[in-house]
Amino acid sequence: MFGGLKEKLQAARNRLGTSIQGVVAKQEPPSPETRTAEPETPLPQQKTISSTAPTFVDKVKVLIIERELIVSEKDISEALAELEMTLLESDVALPVSDAIIAHVRTNLVGKHRKIGESVDALVVGALKSALLEVLGKGFNLVEYVKTHAHPVKILFTGVNGTGKTTTVAKIGAFLKKNGYTVVIGAGDTYRAGAIEQIGVHAERIGIKIIQHQEGADPSAVIFDAVQYAVSHKIDVVLADTAGRFHTKSNLMNQLEKIRRVMKPDLIVYVDEAVAGNDAIVRAAEFDRTVGADAVVLTKADMDSRGGAAISIAHTIGKPLMFLGTGQGYDDIMPFDPAQVVEDLLGSDT
Amino acid sequence: MLDNLSTSLKDALKKLAGKTVIDRAAVDELVKDLQRALISSDVNVKLVMDLSKAIRTRSLDEQLPKGTNVREHVLRIVYQELVRLVWASTDVKLEPQTILMAGLQGSGKTTTTAKLARYFQKKGMKVGVICADTFRPGAYDQISTLCAKINVPCYGNPQEKDAIKITREGLESQKDVELVIVDTQGRHALEADLIQEIIELNILTKATHRWLVIDAALGQQASEQARRFHEAIDIDGVIITKMDGTAKGGGALSAVAETKSGIVFIGSGETIEDLERFNPDGFISRLLGMGDLKALVERAEEAIKAEDVDVNAMMKGKFTLRDMYTQLEALNKMGPLKQIMGMLPMGNMQLPDGVYDVTSTKMVRYRIIMDSMTPGELDDPSLISSSRMQRIARGAGASPDEVRELLKYYKMMQRTLKGLRGGGGGKFNMQRLMKRFSGMQ
Repeated sequence: MFGGLKEKLQAARNRLGTSIQGVVAKQEPPSPETRTAEPETPLPQQKTISSTAPTFVDKVKVLIIERELIVSEKDISEALAELEMTLLESDVALPVSDAIIAHVRTNLVGKHRKIGESVDALVVGALKSALLEVLGKGFNLVEYVKTHAHPVKILFTGVNGTGKTTTVAKIGAFLKKNGYTVVIGAGDTYRAGAIEQIGVHAERIGIKIIQHQEGADPSAVIFDAVQYAVSHKIDVVLADTAGRFHTKSNLMNQLEKIRRVMKPDLIVYVDEAVAGNDAIVRAAEFDRTVGADAVVLTKADMDSRGGAAISIAHTIGKPLMFLGTGQGYDDIMPFDPAQVVEDLLGSDT
Repeated sequence: MLDNLSTSLKDALKKLAGKTVIDRAAVDELVKDLQRALISSDVNVKLVMDLSKAIRTRSLDEQLPKGTNVREHVLRIVYQELVRLVWASTDVKLEPQTILMAGLQGSGKTTTTAKLARYFQKKGMKVGVICADTFRPGAYDQISTLCAKINVPCYGNPQEKDAIKITREGLESQKDVELVIVDTQGRHALEADLIQEIIELNILTKATHRWLVIDAALGQQASEQARRFHEAIDIDGVIITKMDGTAKGGGALSAVAETKSGIVFIGSGETIEDLERFNPDGFISRLLGMGDLKALVERAEEAIKAEDVDVNAMMKGKFTLRDMYTQLEALNKMGPLKQIMGMLPMGNMQLPDGVYDVTSTKMVRYRIIMDSMTPGELDDPSLISSSRMQRIARGAGASPDEVRELLKYYKMMQRTLKGLRGGGGGKFNMQRLMKRFSGMQ
């Protein structure tokens, strides 16, 4: 994922670069500029920006060394409009793209800066911090499990059809591979077939599962799972829940009850990478009502743009923990922003 | 945030209100706001650009019809352009046919399959379902449980891994049903082998309809996915699911434009009855963040007998406990309060959260409590003193706290509605406009 976004941003950035270059005025603020253009790029996984000849960063560097520029709003407004379209086309929600564009604008317009020796460090540093700022720190689950009292209780939430159950199975397999014992609480007692679904997953990956019959109280199921973990010295409890819309206050209350009963160490909000503007609405609502400590984005293999990641990260400011990238149990990718940023900048500069 | 958007759209419209000559700047502004409204509803960006270009050109070029003002003129164009986009004939015929369901993972195909089965069953058809999802564990359990609830035969075999084989056997075993719905596994356009599978399923079933199920929250990716599905199996209808959330369903619009088909059904709830035929007026209103009284009233008519309640009672005159009683009863039949409220033209006003917090069980309690009140009390709740409250509570088997809660809720409703009424001309203009629109197409 993010590949498409990266390409588009690349084009937009070049455009922005050109437009600034055209302004033969005085000086220009390389960092802010790049920074703002970047935040979107961050997501672009591993892939390198490369390809297109002189990157924006190069241009900026040249500019900085050779002469000074003052950027006026007029000079960049067109390019910014284009950048905004790019963001929107990549599913970055409207308010979020607005915020990003505004950020770029304030940072660019009228900026004056004397630039001398370490342009490189300046640009790279600014870029890096900007990228990390949007993406947060990432979330190392293995590290978390290692450093917290067992059993570590993890609750999964999200709206219908985002892939919670599959994600629970994948994370179960992931933790098992990392040497931890896991028990799953089949807390989706509502949807027909959900208990069977998670049951089959658990059996395939060889994990104990606690389940009641359809229609049971999910809090009770999950409570039992936690009890089981305590008495059998299991390391991690993964609690699946039924998908629910943030607009249904009774279901949200139920989730609240689950949280009270389970006292989770981690609440993981699951959403899909292909979601559009609604992603921010529901992420904010879930974060407000039951809280969220980390985010998993599923179906990242469907979409090369990844705007939802930016939208959600920007809206609730919680780290992205995993990307779901396919239908197999191994199709899960820990998300490490530092690494991503490193890769991006490494190729860029 | 969407509220802000539709407000700005309304502001832009307001600016056009008094004008008799088309003002280029005002039209530009309106078009810009329109773009933002549509984009934040997840309509494909390119589509929005084309659309707004057409609207701008038409608004500026076309002769202002006699007797209309600029605002009406522009709004009419906006509406016509949008309808042109979503409006394709999607007749659902009640005759023997085979329907093949397609869509991304988690878009709601299985649930929708059951809802469709129920829909056609209610129309008097003999329906059968084939579960061709051989991948997701529990898929067969899910669909067979749902089908059992409505007494629809469901063919499937969780042990078999070959969807083609299951479907062939399923078609064989369901020869005597009139309408077969084939539920398939979720897939996306980049999974070549799965796309090949659905092509083969399409050939095998000779499906009358191939409907694409789209999650209302699907973003810009909708166009691309729909295009690929369309290339593979020639999609002839789109179903939007999960419209009971806050998503606007703009992705479905992109899908429709891409497949040159129309929106057939809308799924908006978790129960098997929550499926409606598509109604362009309501959908467009929602996209633009403007309310749609028409759909609400229609829905009300369906759910309630005429003498039961006048939905517009909410909007007019005195609001007593008695009104609330009938409304609670009526609303109960129509669906969750929030859903109803979403359809009312008041996008620019915020309702207190508490208004929505009345779940159906609570509504039942409230009605029981109100049953213990005297007619006088129902007409004038201010009569209720603490001794009366005790009496009501005893009569209803409730605690005085519950009675107090009910009165609090009543006051909140009353305040809200007062706010609605007093909320300025905006909403009513909007209401009139929407009405006018519905007369125009």
